[in-house]
Amino acid sequence: MFDSVEKVAQSLAEQDYICDSKIATVVFLAHRLEKPVLVEGPAGVGKTELAKVVAAATGRNMIRLQCYEGLDEAKALYEWEYSKQLLYTQILKEQFSEVMAGAKSVAEAAARVGQEDSVFFSDNFIVPRPLMQAIRSEKPALLLVDEVDKSDPEFEAFLLEVLSDFQVTVPELGTIEALSKPLVFLTSNNAREMSDALKRRCLHLYIDYPSEELETRILSTKVPDAGAQLIQDIVQMMHKLRELDLKKVPSISETLDWARALLALNANELDAEMVQQTFSVILKYEGDVRKAEGELSKILQKKAAEAAVAAPSAADAPAPAAVKKGALH
Amino acid sequence: MQKKILEFTNILRKSGIRVSTAEAIDAFEALDELSVDQREIFRDALRTTMVKRGEEVPTFDQLFDLFWSGFHDSLREAFGEAAAGLETFGMDLEELLRRIAEALQNLQGDLSELGDLAQALLSADLNMLEKLIREAAEGAGTDRIENFLQVGFFSRRTLDQMNSEGAGAELRELASQLEAAGLSPEDLAALRSLIEGLMEAARKSVRAFTERELQQQNHDYMEKFRRETLLEKSFYHLTEDEIRRMREVVERLAQKIKNILSIRRRRLNKGKLDLHQTLRRNMSHGGIPFELIFKQRKKDRPKLVILCDVSSSVANVSRFMLQFVYSLQEAFTKIRAFVFVAEIGEVTPLFQEADINEAIEKALDGGDVINVYTRSNFGYAFHHFWQNYLSAIDNKTTVLILGDARNNYNDPRAWCIRDIHNKAKNVIWLNPESPSAWGFGDSVMDKYMPYTDLAEECRNLKQLSSVIDRLVL
Ligand SMILES: Nc1ncnc2c1ncn2[C@@H]1O[C@H](COP(=O)(O)OP(=O)(O)OP(=O)(O)O)[C@@H](O)[C@H]1O
Ligand SMILES: [Mg+2]
Repeated sequence: MFDSVEKVAQSLAEQDYICDSKIATVVFLAHRLEKPVLVEGPAGVGKTELAKVVAAATGRNMIRLQCYEGLDEAKALYEWEYSKQLLYTQILKEQFSEVMAGAKSVAEAAARVGQEDSVFFSDNFIVPRPLMQAIRSEKPALLLVDEVDKSDPEFEAFLLEVLSDFQVTVPELGTIEALSKPLVFLTSNNAREMSDALKRRCLHLYIDYPSEELETRILSTKVPDAGAQLIQDIVQMMHKLRELDLKKVPSISETLDWARALLALNANELDAEMVQQTFSVILKYEGDVRKAEGELSKILQKKAAEAAVAAPSAADAPAPAAVKKGALH
Repeated sequence: MQKKILEFTNILRKSGIRVSTAEAIDAFEALDELSVDQREIFRDALRTTMVKRGEEVPTFDQLFDLFWSGFHDSLREAFGEAAAGLETFGMDLEELLRRIAEALQNLQGDLSELGDLAQALLSADLNMLEKLIREAAEGAGTDRIENFLQVGFFSRRTLDQMNSEGAGAELRELASQLEAAGLSPEDLAALRSLIEGLMEAARKSVRAFTERELQQQNHDYMEKFRRETLLEKSFYHLTEDEIRRMREVVERLAQKIKNILSIRRRRLNKGKLDLHQTLRRNMSHGGIPFELIFKQRKKDRPKLVILCDVSSSVANVSRFMLQFVYSLQEAFTKIRAFVFVAEIGEVTPLFQEADINEAIEKALDGGDVINVYTRSNFGYAFHHFWQNYLSAIDNKTTVLILGDARNNYNDPRAWCIRDIHNKAKNVIWLNPESPSAWGFGDSVMDKYMPYTDLAEECRNLKQLSSVIDRLVL
């Protein structure tokens, strides 16, 4: 199914994910070489989505580990189920008394209880968290470590160990090895630079804002009801906006939201009024809106001028003299 | 191929992209999985295995083009020209080669009697030519080229190394033999002209290869140079672009410090057992302490009051210091920021609302609290601070002053700094001017110095970041 780079691009397209050969090459190699991929790039360019569609395309079960400040091993790997253990000790009180009967000292009693330890520290009482789930999964899985840059450097070091041999050691149970290596995607917004050690182990993929051509294809796939003219207008506008020095640069997710919003307003193409009504969908800050407004009127003016030249008779504005003269020659 | 990739790896390394051996091996493995004749895919495979930082991608792309494509293209162009020269004889290369082969049959010989280079030239075998030129250049030591004046020298050596004269002689000899064997005069004329064209193409290609090598060497040098100079470039006279790039450097430096702090905080955290919290947390477990809670030990984080001269001569020091300090907010208990030229005003609230860069630009513009279009008057500013904000300072406060102390011959009122110094934990003064200028002309730095715990020159990022290191680490 992932026989070649082209096939990868195809299978992802079947999942409505449109990508260039750069992304497809990395996914292809990750699959072949069984290496984790570190995906970096600005917000909303489809980092998380990529992992999801690769899981869908390969029929793997996606297991997601969402990172945040303070995430620790217990929450990522496994925890003992204290309350269940406690419940069992209560229920088994009598059996314990038997075990302890005749013990001459507290120390001896404790030692005897200690021998029964393994009952409580067994599979029954373990709560597997995402990393453990991915390792123990019967079917090959896809592990998504989302927003790994939000985790602390210590957690990163721990993650590194897990990723290098796909096995974990639970002191009470021994070492658990992966039945089949999961595909691993780590995403990062670059809130913090990841360590060189982690980067060395991973293939690296930097997803940037898409080219006009790619964004057009994404739009026509994801918002199929939008007309060609509307899509072209939107994409052009987005690319102009991304050149401005904005606080929050609008991404693919904003492009999609915007297209849907405009479609709901029955727009066939962009005009000033439509844009005014929907600007808040793509720009989240007052300052950004102000900066963008200037650019917007420029674009719309240019568009109107072009339309006037293209169809001089249809527009109610009279065609410029120069054009008429040109027509006589 | 492997050899060529290793060579490329070295070039990346020289330009500051750290490629480990493991990563080079990954690259080999990746290429095993792919058909490398697709250029884009080949490039992507190398990039994903060897380049792990977004900002290194442009460097990689440039070097990739220099190393992998530039040369093959110029080969194709040079030899394309040579073959096109046949047009004047109403002939194309294939047709001519066919006729030569026919004539050769009469001689009972074939082209394989020629040397490698002569053969490759005549059949325009570009891959073979590239290989021969590479090997010859290696033998000639072209990778030691340093400047443009040496291009001719190393080209000559490379040509000698591959014995291009010899190949030319072989081909001319072949022409004479074919003449004897009855090749038509027209074909012969075409062949002779082709041979000279090919020799010219070989010379051109070798020269192109040598120039490319020079570019590569220079590229390494320029990259290193650019990076070092940014750290050491004086804050006076920065272009927009330099400001933008420095901002990124500051961001990275701040991030590094943050990582160090975060690891240290973890270590410090393991303090004494907190009995109270532990019991509370384990209530649901019948009071049995499954989870232990530890008291957090606190490291003294400094309180910071920062006084920034925002007159144009010092604006950039203030800019990057503010960025630094506010990127590291969590390293301080509290930060209050003031800006001054002659009037002084507080800009702390700006940083609570807007994002850092926006707040900084506003602050440098006076932040609606002071007029920046006046002449510097340190004494006046400090006096106002003394009157209105002295209560901001206590014995846990570090006061950071940025300014050139060029006071336009006004009264320095150094006693204000003395009083600040008496109340504060310490006073640090950063001056973008060199110490040899302090106290001369209208500089009153010498008047303030006695009341500072540390007074330092701060003219570039390197000096700025070393101050910050000492402040928070
Ligand atoms: N190449 C693509 N083809 C189709 N849809 C895409 C593509 N890229 C992004 N999208 C869409 O854009 C939206 C945002 O993508 P996603 O949430 O994966 O972004 P992200 O990079 O993970 O962002 P963040 O950094 O904020 O987590 C999703 O709705 C996704 O479907
Ligand atoms: Mg995401």
